[in-house]
Amino acid sequence: MQFIHSFQSEWLKTKRSLAFWLVVVGSFFIPLLMTVGRVIYADNLAKLVPLPNFWEQLLSQSWQFMAILLLPMGVILATSLITQLEFRNNTWKQLHATPQTFSTIFWAKLAVILSMMLGFFVLFNVGMYFSGIVPSALLPTVNLPAAAFPLRLYAETSGFFFVDCLPIVALQYLVSLQFRNFLMPLSVGIGVLLASMIAVEWKYGYTLPYTYCLYNFFKLRGATMPATGHTNIHLWALGYFALVTLASYVLYLLKSEK
Amino acid sequence: MNSIEAQHLTHRFANGDLALDDVSLRVKEGSIYGFLGPNGAGKTTTLRLLLGLLKKQKGHIQFFGQDFAAKRIEILRQIGSLIESPSIYSHLTATENLLLWQKLYQCPKNRIPEVLRLVGLGDTGHKKTGQFSLGMKQRLAIAVALLHSPQLLILDEPTNGLDPHGMVEMRELLKALNQQQGITLLISSHLLAEIEKLVTDVGIIHRGQLLFEGSLQALHQKQQEASSLVFVVNDPTAALALIQPVFPSVRAESDRILLPSLAQTDIARLNQQFVNQGIDVYGIQTTQSDLESIFMTMTND
Ligand SMILES: Nc1ncnc2c1ncn2[C@@H]1O[C@H](COP(=O)(O)OP(=O)(O)OP(=O)(O)O)[C@@H](O)[C@H]1O
Ligand SMILES: [Mg+2]
Repeated sequence: MQFIHSFQSEWLKTKRSLAFWLVVVGSFFIPLLMTVGRVIYADNLAKLVPLPNFWEQLLSQSWQFMAILLLPMGVILATSLITQLEFRNNTWKQLHATPQTFSTIFWAKLAVILSMMLGFFVLFNVGMYFSGIVPSALLPTVNLPAAAFPLRLYAETSGFFFVDCLPIVALQYLVSLQFRNFLMPLSVGIGVLLASMIAVEWKYGYTLPYTYCLYNFFKLRGATMPATGHTNIHLWALGYFALVTLASYVLYLLKSEK
Repeated sequence: MNSIEAQHLTHRFANGDLALDDVSLRVKEGSIYGFLGPNGAGKTTTLRLLLGLLKKQKGHIQFFGQDFAAKRIEILRQIGSLIESPSIYSHLTATENLLLWQKLYQCPKNRIPEVLRLVGLGDTGHKKTGQFSLGMKQRLAIAVALLHSPQLLILDEPTNGLDPHGMVEMRELLKALNQQQGITLLISSHLLAEIEKLVTDVGIIHRGQLLFEGSLQALHQKQQEASSLVFVVNDPTAALALIQPVFPSVRAESDRILLPSLAQTDIARLNQQFVNQGIDVYGIQTTQSDLESIFMTMTND
């Protein structure tokens, strides 16, 4: 019960926050660009709409920009921003003097971050759907896509990306809870992300926690990577998430200054 | 019963600073306890320890007769707090800020407009609290502390940033809460004058040590004792010999005779005696030590 109240309270804090706008703008940005691009190059689009793999192509193109940079960066920023809200407003002391356990606070906040991420995936899929339909609706000369919208494929793809982002959430959450300075989670995030980008070609690249979005994207493209042939990256992502979250939880409880 | 009973609190920060050295506090139910000390004395550290915001290193903390560590959640439900700077989410309005605390305390929603009116923020509407003035933020922070109708308020320098009019208003509000609703208050301040008219009890902390704890009357008593009378005379030795039998505590410092404070008629009679004995009196001074100066002497080593 207290968890639900705590979750509601945490959710209220995201209202009009930077993280909230990041999710909204971030999820519609690429679909909007795709829509504009397709309207401008109407001739090209006319050739695309009859194709049976119209939606698969759209999925792959949309995720291309998203998976490599925007999604990891967005998750780094959003997680850090939501958590650091308390430091920025000097509110930890007030929150920690409310009648609830520290555990409740920790899990409620994490749940809000994950819910925001879920919201992002839903909005992004809605955006992708519309970027497939809207150009045809706007252009009288272009037909609607011939193929049916493969909802299951879109949902599954998003599901995997969601899992592959979890290690990012966990590590950013850990760092953002420990340090007052926003540059800390930001530089850790960018640092690990860069390292992961460099490491994707490496045989053991999958051991780096921020590589999984990249790997999943290559998989979506049908490319084989040296690291992914024999490993289940999604399991690695889940493992990292569980481990880092546990560490984060313990460190948070042990903090001597609340 | 005591609302707060803290014993032997000692706290050392990670950098090695001993911020509190064996501090014991007793806040009686229904009292207004003024917790006084200069900057860096350890007031905020003590209050943070009481609320569990710092890990307790040594000592015992009880609220309402119950151990804090064992009954933390039940106890916190009864406490409203404001520690150091206001805790306010600057991208939200005043009402939205209160709403998120309301969710946590599950108190009636109609408390929100009620406490806003109480602190004089009834009409801020859609204004983001980031655009509030310092005094407005302070008022909102007090509204947050009052929201769930706690029976104990712990306020760290609550009049910080308020204009003189606001300070008077705040004192009136706190007094009314205490008298009408029986709320116990623990208020820290570095100015005795500011809370002298409000408090019933006083604790004075300096460099992490509690120098005084008692009722305001007891502090006044100390003040009485500390005020003194000075005669400046030409022959202090003779003067001393004359009055020592009557006032054993009298002292001489160069040409000055120092006595505890006396009634006006006694001063006149003493003066007459000196003159009768051929001692020239150059001046008579009474040093009225008000509470502020006692506070200053206590905290000035
Ligand atoms: N987080 C911290 N780390 C290290 N030392 C600290 C910390 N917080 C406070 N101190 C030290 O503890 C001592 C007491 O500080 P505290 O904030 O309790 O004083 P205060 O009485 O509230 O002063 P003020 O009137 O300025 O608010 C100071 O010497 C301060 O430097
Ligand atoms: Mg202080």
